[in-house]
Formats: sequence, C-alpha cells, structure tokens
Amino acid sequence: MEETFVKDSAVRKPKTNKKITWAVLKEQRQLIYMSVPLMAYIILFAYVPIWGWTMAFQDYKPARDFSEQTWVGFKHFEFLFKDESFLQVLRNTLAMSVINMILGFTTAIILALLLNEIKKVVWKRTVQTISYLPHFLSWIIVTGIVATSLASDGIINDILMKLHLIKEPIQWLSEGKYFWGIVGASHVWKEVGWNTIIYLAAMASIDPALYEAADMDGASRYRKMFHVTLPGIKPTIIILLIMQVGHILEAGFEVQYLLGNGLVVDWSQTIDIFVLKYGLAQGNYSLATAAGIFKTVVSVTLLLIANGVAKRLGEERLL
Amino acid sequence: MGGKNKSVLRFSMMLLLSLGLVLSACSGGNNQGAAKNDNNGQAAGDNVANGVEPFEISVFIGQPDQQPTPDNKIYKLIREKTGASFKFEFLAGDIDQKLGVMIAGGDYPDMMTANQKLTAAGAFIPLEDLIEEHAPNLKKHYEKYWNMMKDPNDGHIYNLPNYGVTNADVTSSWYSGPAFWIQKDVLAEAGYPEVKTLDQYFDLIKQYKEKYPTIDGTPTIGFEILNYDWKNWGLFNAPQHLIGHPNDGGVVVKDGKAEIFADKDYAKRYYQKLNEMNALGIIDKEAFTQNFDQYMAKISSGAVLGMFDQHWNFQSAEDALITQKKDERTYVGLPLVFDEGIRDHYKDRPALNLNNGFGITVNASEEQAIRIIKLLDTLIQEDWQKILSWGIEGEDYIVKDGRFMKTQEQRDQFTDATWKLANKADSFHGQAPKMEGLFSDGNATDAAAQPEEMVAALREYDKNFLAQYGFNSYVDFFSPAPENDIAYPAWSVDLVDGSEAKIVNTKQNELSTKFLPKAILAKPEEFDSVWDEYVSEIRKLNIKAYEDRINEVLQWRRDTWSVK
Repeated sequence: MEETFVKDSAVRKPKTNKKITWAVLKEQRQLIYMSVPLMAYIILFAYVPIWGWTMAFQDYKPARDFSEQTWVGFKHFEFLFKDESFLQVLRNTLAMSVINMILGFTTAIILALLLNEIKKVVWKRTVQTISYLPHFLSWIIVTGIVATSLASDGIINDILMKLHLIKEPIQWLSEGKYFWGIVGASHVWKEVGWNTIIYLAAMASIDPALYEAADMDGASRYRKMFHVTLPGIKPTIIILLIMQVGHILEAGFEVQYLLGNGLVVDWSQTIDIFVLKYGLAQGNYSLATAAGIFKTVVSVTLLLIANGVAKRLGEERLL
Repeated sequence: MGGKNKSVLRFSMMLLLSLGLVLSACSGGNNQGAAKNDNNGQAAGDNVANGVEPFEISVFIGQPDQQPTPDNKIYKLIREKTGASFKFEFLAGDIDQKLGVMIAGGDYPDMMTANQKLTAAGAFIPLEDLIEEHAPNLKKHYEKYWNMMKDPNDGHIYNLPNYGVTNADVTSSWYSGPAFWIQKDVLAEAGYPEVKTLDQYFDLIKQYKEKYPTIDGTPTIGFEILNYDWKNWGLFNAPQHLIGHPNDGGVVVKDGKAEIFADKDYAKRYYQKLNEMNALGIIDKEAFTQNFDQYMAKISSGAVLGMFDQHWNFQSAEDALITQKKDERTYVGLPLVFDEGIRDHYKDRPALNLNNGFGITVNASEEQAIRIIKLLDTLIQEDWQKILSWGIEGEDYIVKDGRFMKTQEQRDQFTDATWKLANKADSFHGQAPKMEGLFSDGNATDAAAQPEEMVAALREYDKNFLAQYGFNSYVDFFSPAPENDIAYPAWSVDLVDGSEAKIVNTKQNELSTKFLPKAILAKPEEFDSVWDEYVSEIRKLNIKAYEDRINEVLQWRRDTWSVK
C-alpha cells in the first residue's frame, strides 16, 4: 500500500499545481462545504485558545476581566530561565525523552520484525496481545507495579539475589543514577506492543512479489528482513520519528512524579513537574502558560528542522 | 432552475448541520445549568405541606468522603424541620487541581469548604453583614473570635471556622496531634519506664529490635519516617518539639519573632541522631521512597516500633491493628525532648481553625445565601448540636441521671463506617460551625470527651497499661497545654500564592526533601559535609522574605486579635 501510495502521489502531483480558480472551487464546492465543520472545530479549539497566551505576559488572576489584569512583560519567562534548577530540569526532560525515543523505536521495530517472521498465526496473535495489553493500564497502576517490583523484597531484587549477582538488595528508587533507566524500561514495558501495531500494518502492505523475488535470488531470512522488510517500512519510521521529535520536551509527567522522591529529585524533575510546583500549585497560571509557550516554540522549531532534514535526504516528509 | 434550487437547499442544509454541531458544543454548559435547576425544583416539590419552604444547597467538601445514604436519618430530620437538603460533592483526586478547574470556570456550588485559593479568586462572599442581620445565634457563637475570623488581606469574614470555638477546657481522651509514637509492647517489655528524651526512646527501640528481629514473620522496622507529597511533617517538624516548642509548622516563634529552624544546630542534632540510628539499621531503608499507602501498610502489619507523626494521619492504620486484635501493637504518643530539663509542649490548646469550615460562594443567589446562613444559625443551637454530635436520644445514646451515655452496641455502631453513612451527618457536621466543650446541662459536646465514656470505651489491655503508669488516659503522657500565644499557630499563616515568601518556602521544602534523606542515609563520617552543603543551600535562599511574611501576619494578629 505504501508503494502504491507513493506512486499515486507522483502521478497526481501536476494536478495539484494547477491554479485554483473560481471554476475549480465551484466544481469542488461539496468538498468545501464538508470541510466547514472541521475548520470550525480547529479554529475553535486550536486557534482561539492561543489567545490565552496573553496570560504569560500578565500577572494573571482568575475571575477578573481581561482589562483588569496587570501586564508584566517577560517577567515569567525570566523567572523560568533564570531559575537555577531550570537547566537541570531541562536536562532531565531531554535525557528521558531521548532515552524513551531511542528505546521505544528500536524495541518496537525489533519486536515487529520478529513478530512478522512468526508463521503460526495463533502464536503471533498471542504474543501481540500480551505485549500490548499494558498499554491500557494507567501510569498510576504501572508505577505501583514498578515500585513494588523494585522494592527491597521485590521480584527484581529476589531474582538478582537468587542468581548471586548481588549480595544485598539494591535500593533502586533511591539512587539517582538508576532513575532514567527505570523510566525508560517502564516505558518500553508499557508501550512496546502498542507501538508495533503500526509497523506490522506497514509490513503487511509490502508487496509479496518482492519477497518472492528475493527468494529466487536465494536470500536468507535475515537478508529479507534487512533488504525488503526494513526498507519497506522506512517511510513509516521516518514520519513517526519526525512527529516524535516534536514531542521531545514531553518526557511525561506521571512516571517521574509518581516514582520520584527526594533522593532522586536531581534526576527525576521534569519541566512539567517544575511547572506544577511553581505554576499551578501556587495559582501562578501565568508561569504555567509561559512554560507552555516555551515548549510549543521548541517543538515547532524541532519539527520544522527534522522535516527539513528529511526533505534534504529525499525521504518521506510530514509537511 | 430546479437543479440549482436543490443545490441551494443542500448547501443550506449542510451549513445548518455544521452550525448545529458547533452550537451544540458551545451550549453544553447552559443545558447543564438548566438541568441543575430542574433538579432543584424537584427537590423543592418534596414537602411544601410542612409549612417550611424546601430548598436544596449544593455543597463541595474539599476532602475525599462517601455520599451519605439517601434516607440518612439526620439529613432527613434536617429536611423535615428546616426544609434544607444537601447535594454533596466530595473531593476526588488532587485539591489544587480540582479548585484550579473550578476557579478557571467560575463554577462553584452554593457552599464550599475554605481554601486560600478560593478566597484569593474572590469565590466567597463576605459574611459579616449576613450574620449580623440574620444569624443572632451564630453571632453569639463566634463573638469572642469575631476579629480573628477576618481575612488579614481585606478584613472581611469569608469562612466559618469548624473547630476551635470552645466554651470549656475539654479533655478529650484522644490526642490527635504530633508526637513520637511507640508501640505499647516496647514499653511493656521494658517494664513501663518513663520516657522523656530522644536518646531514651531510641535505646528502647534498639533493645526491642535486637530481641525481636521479626514480628509475626515480618522483619521489625525500628523507626519509620513518612515524607510523601504534602505529608512532610514526619521528616520536617520534629526539631521544634524537641526543644520544647509547640507546632508552628516550618518556624519557631521565639520572643514573638518567627525564624526557620531547618538550618539550626538543634535540627542538626536531631538528624545526626537519625543518621546514627540508620547506621545501626533502626530506620526503615525504604522510608524515603515509600508512598503514603506503603507507609500505612507497614504500620498496619504491626512491625513498626516507632515514628514521628500526627495521630490523625495514621489513625486508620491503628484502627486496622485494633480490628486484628493486636492491642499491644498500637501506639502511645510520647512528648520527647532533647534533655530532661526541657518542658514538653506538644499538646496545645485548640486554636481557632482558620481557613477551614464553610463559606458561601458568589454563585449562591442573595436569597439562597440568606437561607443558608439562617440554616446554619438554626443548627448551631444546642438541641441541634446534640443531634449532630450525639445522635437521637434513645436510639444513639441513653440518658442516665442527666448524663449522656452509650451502650456497648451504640459505641460499636459509632465506629462502623457503613452505619454512620445512614445514621450520622458527619460530612456536614465535620465542616459546619459547632459547639465544643460542654452543653449547658454539663454533658460534653463530644462523646470522646465525656468522662464516663472515656473509661467505658477503654479496652482491657489499655486499662491495664494505663494502670501501670497510674494514668487515666493516654493524653496524660503529655504536659498540660499552657495558654496559647495570641498569634498562635504560625502554620496557619497564608503565605499568598505566587508571592516570594511562598516560592522561598517551596524551595526550602524541596531542599529539605532532597538533603535530609541524603544526610540521614549518609555514612556517619560523611554526615557533616552533607549537612554543611544543605545549610549553605538554604542560606542562598531569600529566607528573610518568608520569615518577614510570617512575622507581618503574626504582628497583625496581635494587633487585631488582642481587642476582644
């Protein structure tokens, strides 16, 4: 499907370049009418709220008219960027985000490749179902499971002790150096199955003729994986990567908030937690908005850069 | 021609449809409002016949609780006699988040429990004129406290404090405040010694733990510390008590001036002791990574020998121990100090519970506000107070020679949560203005403070335990509370959201959360360097802004409250 889609768009390209005239608009008026509700939806729920960004430049107090707010310029941005812990918070966010991204992509693609090789449908379905079920658990439950398994009498320490790898239980959650890894691993456990679905779908659309041709040439299973399956899902991978880059400042909130504690705060505090503590928890909605603007600007910039790079490399693009 | 008409029709239909979609999304709020009104109307239809005009009050309670049963007998009585019925909404999840959403939408019920965020957002209406005009009983009830109830920021009264208005020195048998708690069996094992100092306390725990490394199969935990989310006093608050000061939160008030104690030498002395105890394996290894549920689970298992906490905080875990018939694993609160010469000041006189209790919101109409204040005025009268606190005579308590008492069955019912949902109006009464002390006939307003009940309610184990010490109740372990400083307690000072004082306070707590566990878990020889780093980090903050704000309010209280 992927292949045919690419071909199709190549054929259609000159058509879209045609000048938009009244006649064309009239010809396609049904399409335009149909897009009205969607446009209204986007304007109402995506563009109108941008008005709220003004809060970042005020000392916003709820239940007061717009005209009654005091304007303070860049005060809240200054507080955000000048705070000593901000760099640390930014570091944690980026680190955990990158770890999650790398782990998330590699594990999902590997699992998808492996699943794709399984010939027995029942077995394949079972593995797939089991691996994606944790996706439906909320983080509060997952962190509970993680905290219990990592406790000094939890399963992880039990296994390590039985294997004589460690002499006494490790306090996993009180050591900062383990924290990022724990977060990354919990993400993988929770999301890996779910993330494979889209790759499996992409794999299903690869033309079987390609595999047959490879068979003719005497390609082994590994060869076929590397030279047929992987290139076949490359466009999907790249699109997903571009979209993921846009979310780089969203390392999550619940995991760090629920698993973090005083001993690991230097590694666990993310931008979202910082904003909760100094913004929302203090009724300082302006600071929260300022942080939101910062995140959006970074996201959009990164998204455009990634898109540009993909374009240069002649790959599939988002925009 | 006909074709064109058709397409116009089609077009307008489509437009209409999309418009409808958009509009229905917008008007959701209105519909809801209308639905609510309908509901009110229905409730109003109930008992016009009685001569009282029925009305419904929507109430938000800022803590998790359960809905009373629809036929709850007390609420039914209130409805019959006054016409008022309540529609409760209880907190689910995080209070700050919930209020944030409510404030952003301006969507308040008629009556809400107090919160500084709400007051700051202008959610409450001033009550002083309403009370003067419509509520003579309430006015009388709060007379002595009138000035204290005023908001330091603008001088209006927004909330009716639910506790702290007392007419007699009440000696409840139940101490709810902070203390160093120790398992009764630890004291029994050591032959019921008198424990005054921190060192004696830890010696007892050490000996007991050596003798009994496990309790019912679970490894014994010597000392437990809870520092989770806002429940941080288990780690933060002990030093002020050890030098003989009452609970002022994050500061010690000395000669009328408040100063933080986190970086002082006596704080260091306490945490150094914890550090030594940790090296001996007395302190729970997981103390600083556990959440509240894990903490409660450990206490309920009976394996925890001691902790510093407020009684109400771990009460349900202790109840679980009682249900398991492990009386010897329940706790005694000890008012520990550093040295024998210091007089303990853990137990304090009840202060007015500021920033608590009900307020009426701007969403309540003027009529509704008057109705609510009149209702509260009715309910503060003695006959109603007896019903709300003791229940119905003959059903929930008995009267013998003018004294209120309970049968064992009635006593058991009062600890049964399911029974209470149908027979007590606790979610309302807990937040409403109430009499505390004695009724005019000499009975205590609270069953737990009625001397006859105090003795009768003791279990065999406790009777024997107290006899060993020659005490009447567990409160006798504490020194009697001296008169409060007029501005006490400092912990109820509103730091004002978003102000520098509040930000400094947040940062200081963050530092303590980070460094204190580190210091306690450090190797004993490294303790000093961690402590020095902690102190230098604290000194970098603008602590003065925080102390100034507290002192400013304390001064304001002295100026305004002294006039009675």
